[in-house]
Amino acid sequence: MTETTVFTATKIITMNDSQPEASAVAVRGGRILAVGSLDEMEAWGSFSIDNTFCDKVLLPGFVEAHSHSVVGGFWEYPYVGHFDRVAPDGRHITGCRSIAAVIERLRAADADLDDPEEPLIAWGLDPIYFSGESVRAATLDRVSTTRPVYVHHMSGHIVSVNTALMRHEGIDAESETVGIVKDGSGQPVGELQGMPAIMSVRSVFERLWSSLNASTAKWRFGHIARNAGVTTASELGAAAVTPEAIRQWQLVVNDPAFPARIVIAYSNRFGGPSDPAQMAAQAARLAEHSSDKLRLGTIAKIWLDGSIQGFTARLRWPYYLNGTNGLWYIAPERFREELLAYHNAGLTVHVHANGDEATDLLLDTVEQVLLASPRPDHRHTAQHNQLASADQFRRMARLGMSANMFINHIYYWGDQHLTETVGPERADRMNALATAKRTGVQFSMHSDEMVTPLGGLMLVWSAVNRVTATGQVLGKQERISLHDALRAVTVDAAYQLKMDHEVGTIECGKWADFAVLEADPFAVDAMALKDIPVWGVVLAGKLHPADGRGRE
Amino acid sequence: MTVLGGYLGAGKTSLLNHLLRHNAGRRLAVIVNDFGSINIDVALVESQEGDTFSLANGCICCTLGDDLAMTMTALLKRTAPPEQIIIEASGVADPVRIAHYGTMPGYRLDAIVVLADAETVRQRSQDRYIGATVHHQLLGAELIVMNKVDLVSPATCQAVRQWLGIVAPGARIVEAVCGAIPLALLLDLSLDRMAVTTDVVGDRLVDHRSSYETWSFAKDGSLDGARLRALVEQLPEGILRGKGILTLSDAPTTRTIFQLVGRRWSLKQGEPWDDALPSSQVVLIGLPGSIDAAAFEQALQ
Repeated sequence: MTETTVFTATKIITMNDSQPEASAVAVRGGRILAVGSLDEMEAWGSFSIDNTFCDKVLLPGFVEAHSHSVVGGFWEYPYVGHFDRVAPDGRHITGCRSIAAVIERLRAADADLDDPEEPLIAWGLDPIYFSGESVRAATLDRVSTTRPVYVHHMSGHIVSVNTALMRHEGIDAESETVGIVKDGSGQPVGELQGMPAIMSVRSVFERLWSSLNASTAKWRFGHIARNAGVTTASELGAAAVTPEAIRQWQLVVNDPAFPARIVIAYSNRFGGPSDPAQMAAQAARLAEHSSDKLRLGTIAKIWLDGSIQGFTARLRWPYYLNGTNGLWYIAPERFREELLAYHNAGLTVHVHANGDEATDLLLDTVEQVLLASPRPDHRHTAQHNQLASADQFRRMARLGMSANMFINHIYYWGDQHLTETVGPERADRMNALATAKRTGVQFSMHSDEMVTPLGGLMLVWSAVNRVTATGQVLGKQERISLHDALRAVTVDAAYQLKMDHEVGTIECGKWADFAVLEADPFAVDAMALKDIPVWGVVLAGKLHPADGRGRE
Repeated sequence: MTVLGGYLGAGKTSLLNHLLRHNAGRRLAVIVNDFGSINIDVALVESQEGDTFSLANGCICCTLGDDLAMTMTALLKRTAPPEQIIIEASGVADPVRIAHYGTMPGYRLDAIVVLADAETVRQRSQDRYIGATVHHQLLGAELIVMNKVDLVSPATCQAVRQWLGIVAPGARIVEAVCGAIPLALLLDLSLDRMAVTTDVVGDRLVDHRSSYETWSFAKDGSLDGARLRALVEQLPEGILRGKGILTLSDAPTTRTIFQLVGRRWSLKQGEPWDDALPSSQVVLIGLPGSIDAAAFEQALQ
């Protein structure tokens, strides 16, 4: 007979509203056999007790319905971003809050490289926090005048380089490529804006690109998830779904040591058929490669617009504070064809719609598709959905849609939204979780890792506090309760990934996937939620402690 | 590199099909968004490698791949790199942004061509969602191909042309049926291939000579640079495309390459003449009535 293990804990927060709390959970064959008190476990016969968590708190493993694995590839290189991050190996990496800090970190990385020819690559730079000062060749030459230095900005569209790299790649006053920024005298300054210009340093870019697609990137992504208590994460359409890529995912995720379940959304962004019916058929066929840990063929991703902080999201009137509006990433007619094809193939479609005009197009199109082809329980999900207003949430509810809200934006860009993108009124109702709740829309919250760091606790902290990086509160009317916030990062996110029957609550029959916390979220100050230490996770009953829990 | 833009249904695919069939002897690479409706004649396909088709006439057709910049870089590394590439911008893309890729090393931006469906373009430009996108695409065009003119009345055609002139004051406008326009307008052809002639579109013969005029000029020796510049700056609106391999009096030992697309033109230093006899040759293509051969010749002599 399969062995039964009972885990005891200070408190088990089940997120199952029929049985909100427990002190013991029995696991057999990776699944939850029973939840309750230790006495209540007796009904299932003999068991062994594991007291590892007797002073800890268990929650269902966090579920992230919008993340990207590419971040694992970037972690091969030093991080020089503004905000603190936890590295895949568990080290707490302090953000570089000044140019001096960027230089110091890059100098340390330079000293760590043995081969003097090897380029130094770094990532995460966000110069908007350096009050107008740029990080260009003049700055990066202070790191090295001989080794090529390449720093990828957080936005993803800009790269800063030093003189050694420009010399190596032949970038000079004669270079005509648009995006190679030059000074008044026509000399390149070491900033490359946009892909045509970034390709001027092709050899280094290609090195980075191959890191992003390596299997080590996927492993690191799993470790990041584990360190944050996330047991089910998604790759929402920004990774290739070629046979080779799928094989790599299988090798990594199905490895018993890999600490997370991964749901991969299909997209044709990196090739594949372009006929919508063929795309949908291929997407559905991927299901045959699924396993308990790797899920394919259930969801698809379509992008409608850009980002709010990049001024590329499509907004309703009166648009951005500067009077402009953003960009469409797909033609409305084409969007309808793709959505209908995926819909008819039985997939749940996750649609990137950042601005409220993009949300309008999404709602119009879902309505048309449902009229043409009614389908119960489709769960089509509006992703990001940052400026959605009450009328749009009401429509979403009537159409049977879900909303996945980018709540971390309040902390990471809230200050910019107040003064630079959309202004106070709309910034106050960005990611309007309380409105979603009131209007009856099923909703979850996401990090969009690597745009913001993966992790359920940070999302919950953002949702109940709505505090920006400089400490301002944005729209306190849109705060939600801790209970609702925890639901949104567990069972309600699982719903959008069509896995709420398998994960998302600690409940008999589901996978034994737990986030193991050192403190009870209900017992700490709301402002301390994000700092609750995560011991690690349990995945299908197997313990995966986080690395480097002692921190820096 | 030529960028081909325009909203969905404007006829980009017809035009690309036309190009792949009549490549004017050029080794073209056509980068498409999708193969959806491109008619790649199976009989012409010599080989297929992933998403790249090689055709018997030397052209290749491929999809965007991971990234346009990476795809374009890979094209230059082929054993027989294309002589010119044509990029089909997506229906919502800004063709000017795509044109920036034409400034990458190894490339030169040839033309930004935007198609407009004569039947629907004005209505689309009012659309709540994509109206501004359509306007922006037209505004970025150097050459607008007003397509499907056979589906509208002459009065509508005239009205659309006027409207385009207002929303895209910087563009030159030509009319087409099934995207069939002289290749010389789309591609940087050799001087001897530029003359506008006829095309077969479907089963019809289209005689472009009733819609366009070609002017050729050749002389031994050099031209006066100042006079040439003065002429080019004063060319009539109807001049659409020009090219020249010249000898200028201020640089008598090297070729000077003249390129003109719509309003944009350039003179760039070319190869030295070395042992060859310096000469000057120019071809201009324009709408009927735009070419005043006598005046042009007088200006250059």
